[in-house]
Amino acid sequence: MSPLVVGAILFGAMLVLMAVRVPIAIAMFVPGALGYIALSGTLPLLSHLKGALYARFSVYDLSVIPLFLLMGQFATQGGLSRSLFKAASSFVGHFRGGLAMAAVLACAAFGAICGSSVATAATVAQVALPEMKAYNYSGRLSTATLAAGGTLGILIPPSVVLVVYAILTEQNIAKLFAAAMIPGIIAAIGYLIAIGVVVRIDPSQGPAQPRHPWSERLATMRSVWPVAAIFVVVFGGIYGGVFTPTEGAAVGAVATFVAGIAMRELDVAGIKRALLGTAETSGMIFMIFVGADMLNSALALSQLPAALADAVAHLALPPLLIVVGILFFYIALGCVMDELSMILLTIPVLFPSVMGLELFGLDPTEKAIWFGILVLMVVEIGLIAPPVGLNVYVVNGLARDVPMAETYRGVVPFLVSDAVRVTLLLLFPAISLWLVRTIA
Amino acid sequence: MDIPTADLPPPRGILACAAAACAYAGGAIFIVIAMLAVGSIVSRAIWSKPLQGDYELVQVAGAVFVSLCLPLTQLRHANIIVDFFTVRVKPSTRAWLDAFGAALLALVMALLAWRLCVGTISMREAGETTTILGWPLWYAYAAMVPGIALTATIAFASAREHARQALR
Repeated sequence: MSPLVVGAILFGAMLVLMAVRVPIAIAMFVPGALGYIALSGTLPLLSHLKGALYARFSVYDLSVIPLFLLMGQFATQGGLSRSLFKAASSFVGHFRGGLAMAAVLACAAFGAICGSSVATAATVAQVALPEMKAYNYSGRLSTATLAAGGTLGILIPPSVVLVVYAILTEQNIAKLFAAAMIPGIIAAIGYLIAIGVVVRIDPSQGPAQPRHPWSERLATMRSVWPVAAIFVVVFGGIYGGVFTPTEGAAVGAVATFVAGIAMRELDVAGIKRALLGTAETSGMIFMIFVGADMLNSALALSQLPAALADAVAHLALPPLLIVVGILFFYIALGCVMDELSMILLTIPVLFPSVMGLELFGLDPTEKAIWFGILVLMVVEIGLIAPPVGLNVYVVNGLARDVPMAETYRGVVPFLVSDAVRVTLLLLFPAISLWLVRTIA
Repeated sequence: MDIPTADLPPPRGILACAAAACAYAGGAIFIVIAMLAVGSIVSRAIWSKPLQGDYELVQVAGAVFVSLCLPLTQLRHANIIVDFFTVRVKPSTRAWLDAFGAALLALVMALLAWRLCVGTISMREAGETTTILGWPLWYAYAAMVPGIALTATIAFASAREHARQALR
């Protein structure tokens, strides 16, 4: 059997299991294990499994994930989102659609200390939704803004997805974080523009608030400086090579904890919730690792990645078109899968193909970084696009009076902004690579 | 993609307590990881050398930590499932499918727990140690067994619970 056929069978079996509600990790593990047996036998599988868990769970760089999760949990439980939203709305609230813009800014700032989109969307929504409702913002604009704004949680470093990508492709986490910075800021600006366009066409969707005096604006800054300080210390340290990403995340978790305590928002119940939440999400993420590792071991035995890379290299298509094809594949897959499973499943298979392409004359490291940022951007689209946008679910769960279809309608301008940004990043690698080159 | 299903009552009893205990134990290990990392930064800043073996300690502690998280994840039904294709399916059918999924997860975790035990024994026999601190590696392997075994047990319990719900 050719590697491509084996790959197709395993992939198909996985999709079938997933469709019947088998947990994604297990839907990957079972075909992977059976494929391993078919390709190399039962005893080799049993011997492989003896050390597989320890080998995966003890990867040093992976310990950054629970630490960043804990940092995000402390930020969530510590009420930092409230001060961020208050500060942002005192500055931009008097514009038309200003509260929605403030929500995007709060998401961007929160995303700078939280690596999860869903957490960012939910946390900022809790403070921003009631405010927007009080000022007669349309349900469509409010919920869509928060669902889209939430994706900034992952687009702006720290980002769990980027950590996983870095480990799979053996790239430097700090460099990937640096590369994500400018595209993340562009994403936030794009969302602000989208809101501006929406309220320009239909001003009733986001009426303006009275302007806040400067004294009040400056007063709000007092409670947001910890966020800025934590961000600067953690990422300054990581980029500057003072400490590893794991150490930086540890510093960030401790600092966020201290900030939460100092602001009298983090209590014992909150700390408990943060610990248990971190444990739950860490378990969820590493479970997917276990499944994806098994499937990828089987695929590696079948030599699918190499065969695919070879086939792709001989395609008579422009390399950029192939990358576009891969990005569309991610968008399609994102309709049914979560972003981490997608990356864990596909990067080991597709990455060698991309590295074999000649793209803008980039060296392998730069190519890997550029492609990583593109993948990060497109997998995030799945979080807000129909049929199952996880962020849309979460925000709608908090705004029961807004029908889901309304939110999906409201998301369209943000999707347009996503599409424009992905196109820019695709055509101009320098946007992602400039900061990486400058720091190095 | 699915947000953890809330249609099952929050599990109570000994398994829930065990999972919470594991998660708190994991949390304690985790705090050790964080302090080690910070300690190593301080040590480098003051004595310009890192803590001896900090890298290894984080690796071992990280592995044990993750194994202790898994029971809670299963207990809270937080393992991601795709529910896109089964939105319109009858609730009882959905419960059967969930029972099947949980049972499959239980079998996989039981297999992994068994292999981990075997791995512990062979690590002990081979006398493998960590590179710098020289700790026997089988300690780390053995410390991971309870979490994995408990996850399998909890998954069996959730499969039974789903099946019971399907029959109702």
